[in-house]
Amino acid sequence: MRRFASAPLAIAGSLLLVSLFLNLVPGDPVELMLGEQAPSIDREALRRSVGLDRPWYGQLWLFLRELATGNLRSSLPPFQRKVLPQIWAALPNTLLLTFAAMAVAILIAIPLGVAAAARKGTAVDHAAMGVAVAGVALPRFWLGPMLIILFAIKLDCLPVSGADSPRNLVLPAVTLGTALAAFLSRMTRASMLDILREEYVTVSRAKGLGPFAVLWKHAFRNALVPIVTVLGLELGALLGGAIVTEKVFAWPGMGTLLLTGIEKRDYNLVRAVVLVFTLSYVGLNALTDAVYAAVDPRVRRR
Amino acid sequence: MADLARDYRLLDPRTLEFTLRDGLTFHDGTPLTSEDVKATFDGLISRAMPSPRSDKLEVVERVEAADPLTVRIHLKRPYAPILAELSLGILPRARAVPPAALEQDRAPIGAGPFRFAGQPDEEHLKLLPFDGYYGGRPQIRSLLIRTVRDQTTRVLELLKGRADLAVGAVSPSAFPSLESNPRLRVLSRPGTAYTYLALNSRSGPLADVRIRRAICHAIDIQPIIEAKFHRYAEPATGMLPRSHWAYASTPGCRKDLARATRLLEEAGYSSTPTPPDESDRDAATIAGHRPRLHLTLKVSTDRLRKSIALIFQEQLAQVGIQLEIRAFEFGTFFNDVRKGNFELASLFWSSVTEPDLLRWAFASSNIPSPENSFGGQNRTGYRNVRLDALLDRATRVEPESRKALYAEALGLIDADLPYIPLWHESSPAIVSARLQDYEPSPQGFLQPLAKAREAVP
Repeated sequence: MRRFASAPLAIAGSLLLVSLFLNLVPGDPVELMLGEQAPSIDREALRRSVGLDRPWYGQLWLFLRELATGNLRSSLPPFQRKVLPQIWAALPNTLLLTFAAMAVAILIAIPLGVAAAARKGTAVDHAAMGVAVAGVALPRFWLGPMLIILFAIKLDCLPVSGADSPRNLVLPAVTLGTALAAFLSRMTRASMLDILREEYVTVSRAKGLGPFAVLWKHAFRNALVPIVTVLGLELGALLGGAIVTEKVFAWPGMGTLLLTGIEKRDYNLVRAVVLVFTLSYVGLNALTDAVYAAVDPRVRRR
Repeated sequence: MADLARDYRLLDPRTLEFTLRDGLTFHDGTPLTSEDVKATFDGLISRAMPSPRSDKLEVVERVEAADPLTVRIHLKRPYAPILAELSLGILPRARAVPPAALEQDRAPIGAGPFRFAGQPDEEHLKLLPFDGYYGGRPQIRSLLIRTVRDQTTRVLELLKGRADLAVGAVSPSAFPSLESNPRLRVLSRPGTAYTYLALNSRSGPLADVRIRRAICHAIDIQPIIEAKFHRYAEPATGMLPRSHWAYASTPGCRKDLARATRLLEEAGYSSTPTPPDESDRDAATIAGHRPRLHLTLKVSTDRLRKSIALIFQEQLAQVGIQLEIRAFEFGTFFNDVRKGNFELASLFWSSVTEPDLLRWAFASSNIPSPENSFGGQNRTGYRNVRLDALLDRATRVEPESRKALYAEALGLIDADLPYIPLWHESSPAIVSARLQDYEPSPQGFLQPLAKAREAVP
């Protein structure tokens, strides 16, 4: 329950920090928009029209008020587009990408980790962990273009970028999922090794169960608790990684929206995107707790 | 406006008369007449329509719609650069001022070759050929403009054959690989962009013209043009490209390390050899000498600009100048430049057509200050009373006499070097085999699409 109590605190803190940082970043939407020209255009009137004449906390207050009435508008004069429709358009794309990446990670990591643990110290183990290290080490802005060159240009079997068809999802999901897969497979291996040392594993082996049943039915199910925890926590990191991946693959999601907002100094858009990121982070943690309980009955009773 | 006029003449030094083309039509079907032109300019002049352009139209006294096809512009005083200021998009009179003008955001209307056909999401823009276009309906059946934020991805999309045209969207480093693709062509025209190093001459070592000249002599731009631009750039001698009507050749400064060193010595920056025991510990040593001068170059985080900055660093090290490079995200970088918070900055003017730009860039009245809310564009803080007078006169004389005045002005600027001229980048169009008859524009505009056609498969 304490986790849920800390959620509003995390949200308020992130909004406060973002507003402070936006205040520190030089340049504002009006200056950036006018750019080269306009020595004497009434900048102050333009600023007032979007509330930029207020101190940062005044701007934050304005943001919250507009948000509460569901009428949040961008900080860019003169058109001041509505922010929420942009978010609703982008959010499903990012969720889709994130969950696809997670699926990729799970599909790669679990078999790899379990195999490595079952054959500890053998070539299988070393190969699997080698792959894992490489996966963590490859930066996404490099891996993305490399995958495009290989699959979209050389093999010519997948599109380069965009979001027109389901096939567009494959490369970004792999790019985004690789690092998590690597991390997760190490976690799976460690967790499995711990469990395989337990007495009940020895007992189940002694009573004549086959290696497959021992591994998957007894050991793996118990090894799941730490794996699920890591997965939940890492899902937040995945959202962060989505920003780079979305840029490389021109994926129209929250990361792309955030970059647009930062570039144009659209303060309200940046605040709104960060708010959504924070909310999903908090939500994911709560979800992890729930899944935790489902996997481990002892947690439920506590 | 320039496209809409069939003809113009100077009735007297303060009055211009434009004759519009016949059959101009807006995308919604209403005819475009002199009343629309008048309404658009009136909106800007009265400032009912807030726009950065209002300032430059300050010289216009009033706009007169003499008859449906004739527009007369009455000026407060003779002003030669007015033609450049008058070239802007004309709005239908009903939309010339807010709030109706805000409609342009939702469903823009113009009189050009392609009409707005929808914006399905933030990344895409659909355009369709306009039947009523005065130049004849374009042959291209439809246009889809797509935003791809990542530079590498843009190149890959082109290589994949998923885009038919990209202008100014690709870093020059990708030109060789695009050129070698059989499905793509790299079409280029000499560009009108002007890249330069701005030297802040307000204070510090750069206030001394000898130091500025020394830097100019230490820099060699030819290798950069070859290695970084693959020859899609021309060396610049000043702001105006060679093909410009007001271009005048200036002595300039060729690479001359001996001369650069001499100038630095004269300015009091002599070099001291590092004592042998210190030489390997001190990272700032250049060829066994302590740097005679330390300067900072600010650039944006653009990969190309940063890599060019590294070449300058190396070249300046040869004359004992230690150049520190500081890269900032563009908004931050530009803010520093406007506030005069830099020593050297790598910048460019995206299109130089009207030579009055020299006045914006070098007249002392355009030094950024609180009075012009830091909007002035003479960012190096350069002052030269003679140049001020010349550039001012060039705006008031007959068009024929302007060339001589600008030649003299270019000479003064070349002698004082507030900028180090680098090159005129061309913005090549990357064109797929599907797109034929595309004649790239020197400014990198997309207008040539009106005359292009699709290849018959």
